[in-house]
Amino acid sequence: MDTLKVRDAQDVEAAVRAAIASEQPLEILGHGSKRSIGQPVATNAVLDLSALNAVTSYEPNELILTVQAGAPFADVLALLDTKNQQFSFEPMNTSRLLGTPDVGTIGGAISAGLAGPRRIQAGGARDHLLGVHAVSGFGESFKAGGRVVKNVTGYDVCKLITGAWGTLAVMTEVTLKVMPRAEAERTLILRGLDDIAANRAMTAALGSPYDISGAAHLPGSALRTVQGPLGEIAAADQSVTLIRLEGITASASSRAASLSKLLQSYGAAEIIEDSQSAALWADIRDVVPFAASGPRAMWPVWRIVCPPASGGKLGQEIARRSQGEVVYDWGGGLIWAALPPSADAQAPQLRKLVDAAGGHATLIRAPDDVRRVVDVFHPQAPGVAALGERVRKSFDPRNILNRGRMSRSLSV
Amino acid sequence: MTIMMPAKDEAVLARRDAIIAALRKLVPGEGVISSAAEMLPYESDGFTAYRQPPMVVVLPETTAQVSTVLKYCHDNGIKVVPRGSGTSLSGGALPLADAVLLGMGKFKRVREIDFDNRAVVVEPGVTNLAISQGVAHAGFYYAPDPSSQIACSIGGNVAENSGGVHSLKYGMTTNNLLGCEIVLMNGEIIRIGGKKAEPSGYDLLGIITGSEGLLGVVTEVTVRILQKPETARALMIGFAEVEAAGQCVADVIGAGIIPGGMEMMDRPAIHAAEAFVHAGYPLDVDALLIVELDGPAVEVDELIKRVEAIALKCGSTTCQISESEQQRLLFWSGRKAAFPAVGRISPDYLCMDGTIPRAALPLVLRRMKEMSAKYGLGVANVFHAGDGNLHPLILYDANKEDEMEKAEAFGADILRLCVEVGGVLTGEHGVGIEKRDLMPEMFNEIDLNQQQRIKCAFDAQGLLNPGKVFPTLHRCAELGRVHVHGGKLAFPDLPRF
Ligand SMILES: Cc1cc2nc3c(=O)[nH]c(=O)nc-3n(C[C@H](O)[C@H](O)[C@H](O)COP(=O)(O)OP(=O)(O)OC[C@H]3O[C@@H](n4cnc5c(N)ncnc54)[C@H](O)[C@@H]3O)c2cc1C
Ligand SMILES: Cc1cc2nc3c(=O)[nH]c(=O)nc-3n(C[C@H](O)[C@H](O)[C@H](O)COP(=O)(O)OP(=O)(O)OC[C@H]3O[C@@H](n4cnc5c(N)ncnc54)[C@H](O)[C@@H]3O)c2cc1C
Repeated sequence: MDTLKVRDAQDVEAAVRAAIASEQPLEILGHGSKRSIGQPVATNAVLDLSALNAVTSYEPNELILTVQAGAPFADVLALLDTKNQQFSFEPMNTSRLLGTPDVGTIGGAISAGLAGPRRIQAGGARDHLLGVHAVSGFGESFKAGGRVVKNVTGYDVCKLITGAWGTLAVMTEVTLKVMPRAEAERTLILRGLDDIAANRAMTAALGSPYDISGAAHLPGSALRTVQGPLGEIAAADQSVTLIRLEGITASASSRAASLSKLLQSYGAAEIIEDSQSAALWADIRDVVPFAASGPRAMWPVWRIVCPPASGGKLGQEIARRSQGEVVYDWGGGLIWAALPPSADAQAPQLRKLVDAAGGHATLIRAPDDVRRVVDVFHPQAPGVAALGERVRKSFDPRNILNRGRMSRSLSV
Repeated sequence: MTIMMPAKDEAVLARRDAIIAALRKLVPGEGVISSAAEMLPYESDGFTAYRQPPMVVVLPETTAQVSTVLKYCHDNGIKVVPRGSGTSLSGGALPLADAVLLGMGKFKRVREIDFDNRAVVVEPGVTNLAISQGVAHAGFYYAPDPSSQIACSIGGNVAENSGGVHSLKYGMTTNNLLGCEIVLMNGEIIRIGGKKAEPSGYDLLGIITGSEGLLGVVTEVTVRILQKPETARALMIGFAEVEAAGQCVADVIGAGIIPGGMEMMDRPAIHAAEAFVHAGYPLDVDALLIVELDGPAVEVDELIKRVEAIALKCGSTTCQISESEQQRLLFWSGRKAAFPAVGRISPDYLCMDGTIPRAALPLVLRRMKEMSAKYGLGVANVFHAGDGNLHPLILYDANKEDEMEKAEAFGADILRLCVEVGGVLTGEHGVGIEKRDLMPEMFNEIDLNQQQRIKCAFDAQGLLNPGKVFPTLHRCAELGRVHVHGGKLAFPDLPRF
């Protein structure tokens, strides 16, 4: 393994150009915490960005942060904390799910684009990336976007780069929108609902004017062996449905009361507050029921995005047919499924159900040999796939960056 | 006309009759308009300084027709300009003499309202406001609210990534769009996203949004709808100095309050608006802020108090708080009528649109005053203060010699200033033809080439809406070349492990 530890954008340019010349693809790496997600990359040359770790500027009053792409996520969160601000897309920390060290860079987080529970209210990583400096597979540094929230100058290239898993360009610096942390949070807990009823309760909550910032459902069976904050609220084999409200204190309390009333036909809601509530949502965000340290450590884990109101039915069907476990976030629009191990992670059967529901499924955790035979990212309609491939080539015609990471057909 | 358009394709123009005949077969009935008189309404959009009759207007009714028209044009090397309601303020829908103008106005159906998934599926010709009206009976609305919402089409909104007063809190089109169907220039029909939170693969929806009709023709749109907030109340706050108002905007946001809307007007705009609608605006202030808070009543009441306190600390000279819905609307009436109001005090005006970091507001307003003196033209300012999106209105008289050129030069100076202070050329109106030649102020050649390569992925011959957004048109083959220098290891000093 040949690892190049770049120090600045010029180094990245030089490395990419050399890679083009020698036809040697590069694996783009922050801290490598998500290295096991995606198709295995076809290369043994690594471009390590962790030395690009400076905070360029942080202007709390403008709600803007500019950092180099290799900046450690934890440092940046700590910095935002000093001003009581946050990334409101609530990005997930994959370390518990993947069983990797608790590290990671901003560039890695944006490239993965995995948003947490607040996605339904505040949008995803793509909605918070305002500007980017990056090096394309042409070996050229370019910028896109800017440093202000309202900007329609040219194509919105930031959207493409977010969630592209480093297959379009190597980010060197990013500008992100940050938001104030809410003064208070309240979580309503409903107990004992089955997946369908829970889905209906969440739909009612999300269709209310109470500005819900999280809606999750965890079936009892998925909670059975969970420790920590989520484990503590779980009673023997009983499901919990959790709905979060954030805002100023008076508002969060009053909305919690109104929402309890709205949902009374689903049972009496318990309400928990602030730090206790926050701990629960961190567990949900990081999919603790399927943690790599838990009993389902060896089970492959899928991340399924679907129309929210059909989530309950889809999840139930997946669990029943696969003999697996599911948990729901985004009001039913995000299903995490852990399935008993098999050579293909039950991909064909699962994808058939997901397709029928108008969703898509990504294999987030599975051994290398499984990921080699399964499409990790959801196969797309031929026209969309071809367009996506033309877009990829418009950034990286020689297929130098993370060759094959998002597509099995490109990995050889 | 100071803005040049691409050279006319005389060969295409020579075939005009045959092209029209072929198009009539593809879109029967009244779907093809070719007489000069009937094409008149299409010869400009909201950027009326520029006019150009198209070669022919085609008004398809179905996605299949859009597909066959585009395929025909693709195969015959004919340019196409898509058009929604024609309210673009940057000339995005300006026709070309040798191009088909593809009007999407007949795509008027609401296809599906799905309250459970909080999604509405519409055809692109549906107006922005009609979406909110269609779901209002259940308490829902569509959040992005351009001031042109009665007229502008949702397809145009997607193409322009439109926003409005609500964008500060609820985002622009891109943040509220779930899916779309587009037809590529070669006639291929592509569906992206749907009723789920995010599509799979590359975020093609994100790149199409705001692409100003250069990547594909939008034939169906799925948007996310929200439940209306329980209440809304507004504050109308006057300041003796613009700096103080700017500070107030920064402090409100710095305090973690994101209002449903936060708009500012300067003295000329206040006077024009007050004379027009009599909203009761104070006339002895240099800046007026309208701040709207929305949400549950307890929240709104509490935040009103907090904003009022911040304003006082910043030196506000007047502060009125709406006590009724009627009063809230009265506060807004002047702001909403600001453009026509300015139209009454000046024969013509140029509406600019740039975004700056909020902190640069006082500096930018001061510099604009200096420019106003230099060019001898007045300027009135109304803007989305919460997100730093300025709309300077440059006042001029087109009948006076040179005034239009002067106004354009003044406008360009303002946009350069926006970029200089860390902002951007356009916050919501798009680049179009208006700001096309200013793109190099913000992007270098490499940046622009990368954007044009994306265009090539969608439209390899560059037939869709050429002459807009990019100051120089390149051939895709030339953009696709990889230049490799040397090829030996260029970085012997890099640490290796
Ligand atoms: C205390 C703590 C809290 C955390 N909380 C969160 C959280 O709330 N949300 C969250 O998302 N993360 C959080 N993280 C980090 C998170 O878990 C991921 O590890 C991290 O975001 C991924 O970064 P990485 O550098 O390890 O990615 P890698 O595994 O190195 O890279 C992931 C993908 O991105 C690509 N990539 C990496 N860098 C670039 C680049 N510069 N340009 C282009 N492509 C690139 C890679 O090729 C790969 O495809 C936290 C980490 C810590 C330590
Ligand atoms: C008085 C007034 C106030 C305005 N206020 C605002 C405001 O507050 N915020 C704001 O953002 N804008 C505002 N605008 C600008 C304008 O209304 C928006 O840009 C709007 O989105 C344009 O929509 P349209 O249907 O009129 O599009 P058009 O003007 O017809 O076209 C605009 C662009 O979109 C393309 N296009 C149109 N339809 C399609 C389609 N179906 N597929 C592909 N491309 C297409 C065209 O090629 C063109 O490039 C205002 C305009 C006016 C006149």
